Amino acid sequence: MASFDVMPHIELYKPTELADALELADRLGPRGWLLGGGQDTYGWFKDRAKNAEAMIDLNGIEALHGIRETADGIEIGAATTLREIVRDPLLNERFAVLPAAAARVASPQIRNVGTLGGNLVQDTRCWYYRRGLACYRAGGNLCYADSPQGMNREHCVFGASRCVAVSPSDTATAMVALDATMVATSVDGERLIPAGRFFALPETHITRMTTLEPGEILTAVRLPARWAGKRFYFEKVADRDVWDFALVSIAAAFDLDGGNIGDARVVCGGVAAVPWRLREVERALRGRAPGADTGEAVAALATRGARPLNYNHFKLPLMENLVRRALREPA
Amino acid sequence: MNPRLSRRRFIKAVIASGAAAASKAGVAAVAQSRPAGVVERLVSLDVNGRTRRVDVMPQETLAYTLRYKLGLTGTKIGCNRGECGACTVMIDGVTNYSCSTLTHSVGTRAVLTVEGLQRPDGTLHPVQQAFIDELAPQCGFCTPGQVMSAVALLNENPRPSREEARQALSGNLCRCGAYDHYLNGVMRAAESES
Amino acid sequence: MSDYKHIGKDFTPPDVVGKVTGKARYAEDFRADGMVYARVYTSPMAHGRVVNIDTSALDDMPGIIGIITADDVPAVEAPGAAMLTNLPVYIGDPILAVAAEDETTAENALAAIRVDIEPLPFAVDPLDSLVEGGPDAREEGNVYVRSREGSGFRRIKWTPEQIDEFRAGREPTGEHAAEWEYGDVEQGFAAAEVIYEEPFVTVGYAHMSMEPRTAMAYWENGKCHLYASSQSQSFWMPGLARLLEIDMADIVLISENTGGGFGSKIGAYPMAALPAWFSKKIGRPVQLRITREQEYYVGSARVGFQGWMKIGFAANGRVTASDVFIVEDIGPNATGGDGSSAAGAVSLVYDPEAMRFRGLPVLTNTTPRGAQRGPGQNQIAAVMAPIMDRAARDLGIDRVEIRRINAANNATTVYEDQEPVTSAYMKEALDMGAEMFDWERRKQKPAKNGSKVRGIGIGQGYHSAGANGYDGLVRITPDGKIHLHSGVGNLGTYSYASTVRSAAEVLKCDWEDCVIHHGTTEAHLPWSSYQAGSNTSFTHQRANYVAALDAVDKLKQVAARMLGGSPDDFDIDGKRVFAVANPSRGMSYADAAAHAISLGGTFSGQEVPEDIHEVTRRSVENLAGSGLVGVAKDNLRKEGVVPGLAVAFAEIELDLETGKYQILDYVGIAECGTVVHPQGLAAQMKGGAVWGMGMAGLERHVYDPQNGLPAGVGYYQCRIPTYLDTPSEIRTGAVDLPDPQSPFGARGIGEPAMGCSVAAITSAIADALDGHVFNRTPVSADMIVNHVAGREQSFVALQTNNF
Repeated sequence: MASFDVMPHIELYKPTELADALELADRLGPRGWLLGGGQDTYGWFKDRAKNAEAMIDLNGIEALHGIRETADGIEIGAATTLREIVRDPLLNERFAVLPAAAARVASPQIRNVGTLGGNLVQDTRCWYYRRGLACYRAGGNLCYADSPQGMNREHCVFGASRCVAVSPSDTATAMVALDATMVATSVDGERLIPAGRFFALPETHITRMTTLEPGEILTAVRLPARWAGKRFYFEKVADRDVWDFALVSIAAAFDLDGGNIGDARVVCGGVAAVPWRLREVERALRGRAPGADTGEAVAALATRGARPLNYNHFKLPLMENLVRRALREPA
Repeated sequence: MNPRLSRRRFIKAVIASGAAAASKAGVAAVAQSRPAGVVERLVSLDVNGRTRRVDVMPQETLAYTLRYKLGLTGTKIGCNRGECGACTVMIDGVTNYSCSTLTHSVGTRAVLTVEGLQRPDGTLHPVQQAFIDELAPQCGFCTPGQVMSAVALLNENPRPSREEARQALSGNLCRCGAYDHYLNGVMRAAESES
Repeated sequence: MSDYKHIGKDFTPPDVVGKVTGKARYAEDFRADGMVYARVYTSPMAHGRVVNIDTSALDDMPGIIGIITADDVPAVEAPGAAMLTNLPVYIGDPILAVAAEDETTAENALAAIRVDIEPLPFAVDPLDSLVEGGPDAREEGNVYVRSREGSGFRRIKWTPEQIDEFRAGREPTGEHAAEWEYGDVEQGFAAAEVIYEEPFVTVGYAHMSMEPRTAMAYWENGKCHLYASSQSQSFWMPGLARLLEIDMADIVLISENTGGGFGSKIGAYPMAALPAWFSKKIGRPVQLRITREQEYYVGSARVGFQGWMKIGFAANGRVTASDVFIVEDIGPNATGGDGSSAAGAVSLVYDPEAMRFRGLPVLTNTTPRGAQRGPGQNQIAAVMAPIMDRAARDLGIDRVEIRRINAANNATTVYEDQEPVTSAYMKEALDMGAEMFDWERRKQKPAKNGSKVRGIGIGQGYHSAGANGYDGLVRITPDGKIHLHSGVGNLGTYSYASTVRSAAEVLKCDWEDCVIHHGTTEAHLPWSSYQAGSNTSFTHQRANYVAALDAVDKLKQVAARMLGGSPDDFDIDGKRVFAVANPSRGMSYADAAAHAISLGGTFSGQEVPEDIHEVTRRSVENLAGSGLVGVAKDNLRKEGVVPGLAVAFAEIELDLETGKYQILDYVGIAECGTVVHPQGLAAQMKGGAVWGMGMAGLERHVYDPQNGLPAGVGYYQCRIPTYLDTPSEIRTGAVDLPDPQSPFGARGIGEPAMGCSVAAITSAIADALDGHVFNRTPVSADMIVNHVAGREQSFVALQTNNF
């Protein structure tokens, strides 16, 4: 294993029209690489752990930028930067859980260029996979992390299927909590995917983090008015407060009916290959008033069915604690 | 909707191509569909207020271009993975990790590096002077990046709180642990500018 | 405060301007005509034997200039680190290098080369190697002992039962390899009111200096010109000459700026020599750029500890006895020595009436270890602080007071031989810190606030902080300039500049008239110490002091010769040497310098003292005739250990639900003799504080025991502390009492600045958790969450890989 560091030769396309990008994506298929902010791109290429024949830079496409009010909520172009999302007044007013999540991504410089689309489709940080080992996710036939001696503190406690990697995306949890719709576009047209079905467990796609097909581009996300202005909570627990990915994060949305919770979305990051909805918690919350007592009553439901690995059972009490906090201190 | 491309629009999409990549089967077809001479690796970059003509590979990072082609070695490569901030530059006033920015993606936007901060008469930027006055740098390797993040902050927010400064500089690692002195420098620069 | 002209005053070190403008040049910023780019191929296996290297794919690859393998460079006797090796002993061990016209081509070449390696057994946790039947990290053995009596490999194994006992926190009964003792340990424990026995782990982790250790070399007229990232300057020369197998006189070493060292670049290292060998082979200048991943591999790491500590306290709080057993993870190259240093620190900081140290340095196939800021002292500081707190609580003594009771002072004797110290004022440091921190008020902790609890901690740091016997060199030229030649490396402490100010002090000159020469052999530098061990301030104040005294002596002699009378009739001030009886009878430094040149001999460096080092001699020869030369070896009295001491107080707010804590306040007090450079001292104290915070809670090594693969080859996985993981403001102070064996009273501080910090944080965490002690660094969020939830930790006791 040599240690590589410079970008190898890769073609670059800079389409300015979505149609051109779609055509390129279609033509190149898996040989092409869609480029958002590039913050989960260049490392792969520099390490020569992944390769592509060409990068398709989506940033020059005007249609992929911007935060727009629509008849049924807000649409955000996939190439909108995390910086723009963090600062956007409309989002902060109506869907504050998303800017809160975006604000905890990586570092200021990465948020300055990192796009919402890129953050949502980013690859897992499983360190074995990142080191270029031929694991299941890389098309091989074993998992180094889920083994008697695997170092798996940062791996999953839910949804394992041969692979035990987790979704690293902070904004993904917010998308699921907001019942967002993901707009996937290809030369064949648009496909609308609910956020809950956009992210892929390994049992569905072991080599991909999403259900996007080759040739498809995530062009926008739509946040439904249904959740606008509800009570939200976001928290991310990571080792360092800059750069690091969540050990566990939580994004929650509470629709209050009178003083009680009518409907709720409670989603954890860092515990599965997808943002993990705590459905039992959500069910149990219906009809209860938010507060410390309710948190205490439902917290244990958060981890029902969890299957921790050698080094990550701390994620169970941490998830339960984050549920307690979400109910104690929703904004 | 099934948007198919016209040949003209397709050509417009191609701005950069590497000679080596053209030999690869998948892209060769694309390259052949292009009239000779369209491959334009020579680009004009606006760096520190000057237009620089430079031959840039399609996959080249801005840090690479700045350091190895334009001789602007003030921009440091500490990790080359966006995990340290030593390579921080401003593009149209916004901080970027130049190790994780493609030079071709810069386009016509203005690049500002640490070398572009001094006034023509040699006067240091207030942030630079304040960092000297506070003895902010230790080994100095992260310093150009810290300077750029601080300048970007003060351009946008001339009187930041110390906490705002801490957040704004948080994408710049300092292994010497000189954070406190850098923040002192930012606060001093903010005062000197107002 | 002193009334010195320069000592104790802030100044602008000349190199700092280049650092803020980007003009400061580091090794990778230099280019040479015809330079080619080299990249290293590193071992993918934790331990193995290279059986074949197939480079045929490179034959028709354009742009390849050459290949260099272990066969082209000097062999290194095991367990030393080789420049290139056919017997890799860790993942990342360099095997070969390729040079090409550009870096991409060099990397394409690395991708095309086939290296066949036959795997050998490997170990990533010392205890895995120590157990019977466990793998040995090297074929020669699993233990390497360095001692005055002789060094060598050993094969030491413990029974599984002995390993289990050790893990269970009982006194190890397995064989050890090093031991020392003073006083009557048994009697000490018999006299104790309370005795604690604790197992502990401090995980090793990488230095990760910001600048990867790139080097560039070329040969010209038989001389090797080397641009390198070095922590020391002149001190590198003998080692570099050995690595290059040439005479020191044939080396030009340029290291104007170094992007951090922290112990990892003290002496010349193999990766600096490799481009020189490569350049010699291919006849072109070679730049070997080291990547961040490679910096992790070859940039060294702290020695890990797995240990057992027994300590007894009398009813009055006095430490009666201490017994320390440390298994050291010394990596594959047997670099370390931290264990004995840790025990030495215990002997000073807690001053037990009797103590014993037993050590066992075990080899592992992990990244090579080396001195890292407070090697040994800082690991044990982290372990000791919560134990001191527990004793204070059990004995009903205030936590500051129990440290005062055992505080090092001028009468303290230390180490195995119970040597004296030059001076020590730990009590004064504790008092100053307690006052600044407002200990008496803050020890009444506020009540739990929701899920948040407060904890306050006290830490003490120590490192020996001074050496002697090095040379000083100053020069006065006929233009009146004072040239201060500093052979000290420029690693970011500014000590290359602050120490030459003692020469300016002696010469009573203005700083504006001084020119510092440093950073390249061609600046004609004196022989200097290693810029490590916190020693530069003490050591080089002395060396510059004696050189300046020599210059003053020569000024007086020149004046006496020119103006009549005896040298003793003259004095200096205002850049003049003049008769005391009649100050108008005298001459300027500039005129004296011109006369010195005419007089020749010792005055202008034509003759040099017998006892100066070869490096200094050559520099003086090159400078001879250019001015009045003051040059001398430091033969001043030095008896005893020179302690650098520091104390820290910290308050944290720990969230019991997330396992995260914020450091609300931090006060660091330096006890390093006279303050020489207030800003520089504050910078060291604050930087050390950040390092301690990283060690206490974040920084880690992750090695997969299945394949020896490290996870943490970048900054992200290594968890280097950021702005947001450390307090926005760090308060510092200094005791500022002079050390009698330093001409201006200074001792060093860089390492204790960190030790006090890591200790204050481990102490504060234990305080926040009602006295619970993890006996481990780092204490990460998962451990706290598990503890609070009443769950078992995920790892086996004493396990080093726990992520």
